Amino acid sequence: MFRIDRDRARFREIVRGRLRGDLRKYLSTSELLGRRGDHAVSIPVPQIELPRLRFGENKQGIGQGQGDKGDPVEGESKQGEGAGAAGEQEGQHLFEVEVELEELARMLGEELELPDIRPRGDRCIDSEGGRYSGLRESGPRSLRHFRRTYRNALRRAIASGELDPADPRVVPIAEDERFRWRKSHPQPDSSAVIFHVMDVSGSMGREQKDIVRIKAFWIDTWLRSQYKNIEVVYIVHDAVAKVVDQQSFFHLRESGGTKISSAYELVLQLVLDKYRPEDWNIYPFHYSDGDNWSARDTERCITLLRDELLPRVNQFCYGQVKSAYGSGQFKKDLDGALAGSENLVTAAINDREGIADAIRVFLGRGR
Amino acid sequence: MARAGELAAGLREEVRRIEAVARERGLDFSEIVFEMVDARDVNALAAYGGFPVRYPSWRFGMDYERLEKGHKYGLSKIYELVINNDPPYAYLVRTNSDMEQKLVIAHVCGHADFFKNNVWFQPTERKMLDRMAEHATRVRESIDRLGQDTVEVFLDRVLTLDNLVDPFLPLREWMQVRRGEALRSGPIERARRSLDLVMSGGERSAAPAPSPGARPSLPTYDVLGFVLERCELEDWQREIVRLVRAEAYYFLPQRMTKVMNEGWASLWHSRILTGGVLDPSEVVDFADCHSGATASAPGQLNPYKLGIELWRQAEERGLDLFRLRRMHNDASFLDELADEEFAEKSGLFVYGRNSRTGRTEVLERDWRAVKEKLLQEFSWAGLPRIELAEDNYEGRGELVLQHQHDGRDLELAAAGETLKTLAQLWKKPVHLFTLEEGAGRHLTSDGKDVRLSEPQAVNSAHKETA
Repeated sequence: MFRIDRDRARFREIVRGRLRGDLRKYLSTSELLGRRGDHAVSIPVPQIELPRLRFGENKQGIGQGQGDKGDPVEGESKQGEGAGAAGEQEGQHLFEVEVELEELARMLGEELELPDIRPRGDRCIDSEGGRYSGLRESGPRSLRHFRRTYRNALRRAIASGELDPADPRVVPIAEDERFRWRKSHPQPDSSAVIFHVMDVSGSMGREQKDIVRIKAFWIDTWLRSQYKNIEVVYIVHDAVAKVVDQQSFFHLRESGGTKISSAYELVLQLVLDKYRPEDWNIYPFHYSDGDNWSARDTERCITLLRDELLPRVNQFCYGQVKSAYGSGQFKKDLDGALAGSENLVTAAINDREGIADAIRVFLGRGR
Repeated sequence: MARAGELAAGLREEVRRIEAVARERGLDFSEIVFEMVDARDVNALAAYGGFPVRYPSWRFGMDYERLEKGHKYGLSKIYELVINNDPPYAYLVRTNSDMEQKLVIAHVCGHADFFKNNVWFQPTERKMLDRMAEHATRVRESIDRLGQDTVEVFLDRVLTLDNLVDPFLPLREWMQVRRGEALRSGPIERARRSLDLVMSGGERSAAPAPSPGARPSLPTYDVLGFVLERCELEDWQREIVRLVRAEAYYFLPQRMTKVMNEGWASLWHSRILTGGVLDPSEVVDFADCHSGATASAPGQLNPYKLGIELWRQAEERGLDLFRLRRMHNDASFLDELADEEFAEKSGLFVYGRNSRTGRTEVLERDWRAVKEKLLQEFSWAGLPRIELAEDNYEGRGELVLQHQHDGRDLELAAAGETLKTLAQLWKKPVHLFTLEEGAGRHLTSDGKDVRLSEPQAVNSAHKETA
């Protein structure tokens, strides 16, 4: 066992880029954390495939099963693994399997070594809708607790020797009576709201949105595993911001300028009106390619963050997706102006491979 | 590696009983060494190709990680692992049920019989357990002297060439030797041969030991053999080429007979177990386990399933199964047995990408097309057929590889990297002629860069190798 552990340790070091930089380019990048359908996902297993003289991917293959000419074949192995080639260690292996989201979150946590989240403070919120679990000696008839009342009466009858076993009749008097009473329970606060805010200005292309989509899915999955009650708000912005449904969030393509402050103002408005920090753990995620309309607007954003948003949220995450047109200036501005803010996290995502790293940065602090 | 354990008395008894039944039914194998291992250890063993000791390499760690994860998330489970060795070694996994152990034991008997009797395995090294350990020692010695990075980089380079081998070479040479033996097997000749073996450093590898000084004749498919013979290498480097080549030739027959071999073993575990070895209470579990192993997903070929169906077809036709298992490999076996009836009964089809819809679709169910595709996939051990055609291209001492294109294109980016490696070993440029979507391609590497061009010389190269 010791030998294989050494081989594995070496492999991991190579995957992390600490050793054998020459192999980096053969590390498979396939769908790092891809999602298929509602439940099936592929578990990413990093693979380094040495180059060999081998067949390309466009070839045909042989299958076995039903279906007429022209019917789609599902679940074909991605590389069309030549049936003869099952011998040694060729081929990429993407497992597809049904996984519960909870399990998925656990795997994600393990994979990225994420800490569990510590909700802010240890506030307890008195839940308003308490249950009628308390008892009082007076109250309206309709709330009389018959069993407790009867029990008191029985006890009194036995103690005073009034009870005749041959004729066990018990009549409650006023002091036997008990009434239900509403009791409020302090409940731990486990509600969270996620704001996914995306820049949909002209410079955010399809690939950039895909990255945001994958990332948003994994962040939701993780936070859902940490909070019982979670709400997700999707906001898109170009020069103006608006709340949209999930479908539009991922598919909308706007164009035009970018005024990031519009989005931050909208988030602040929602936090003040609906998701009060006393009741909610708040996680805004903002994705953009980092090209803001004007330096003045960026200043406004920084003011909003520093004075209004950061004091109210658990953590504000800014993910800057690299695009062909974006200057990426916004991240530099944030990092510069708000250095030292404990609950502001920024990350640059260059391509799909960067998604996992960015998730680790965002969620790695356990806030 | 954790020490594999002895079998419990009950299981030992079971092994004895099943082996006896197998022999009674006609299987022929030397006594199998069964070892009991934990589920965790079996993943490590599988990553090492079944061998307890291999040379240090990240590749085994990678395979282990994949198997471990598959196991942990309940996606895959290794039931059996058997090594072609004399005696054959097989592992039983401690967590398997009694029924599963019986199934594995019977299955392994089938493999052991196949290893011993199939002609393609005749030239293989039968002391591979020792040989692998020796290879590991050699590599470790080099690592101690030169550092892991240096040795591993070279090893990885050589590995990129490990499929440039000639699947038919070992058997061809083995037959020549056998013929020679029949002609002149006096005591003196035998003594000389064993002396040669001793002198050549104990390398009795199945892969033909190249006689010193002999120029491998061109053209050849045995590119690794050519590298070993003709490239200027340091001793430790030559040692690595030698061991990579020996391991490649050792594993080659298993690639060439995967379908037959798994089918054969499945046929026999099913025959033996349902022939009185199973307890009645185990029959349903057995059927479940067996059908799981021989099920196929729509787009895939399961060698267990295809294999057992071929053997059943042979049985129905009244053929001599033992004779078939002696002489065939997957390609020739399919050629013998796959006909219209078989293709239909087994539901075989050709699939491919429909460029219009972008979907992968069933393209063809006609049995001739299916058979042609099957033969294409299984011939030449499933590898692209690449011949080293020349070692003095245009008088400049450059190598020429000729891809014998069969309709399937090569992955050119990877091919370029491989050429680069070969050029570094050869210390002169190397050329590859192939086709891409029907058009000629000429790849050249000088060991630093790779160049792709339209070939001018492709015709002449074609002629020479045709």
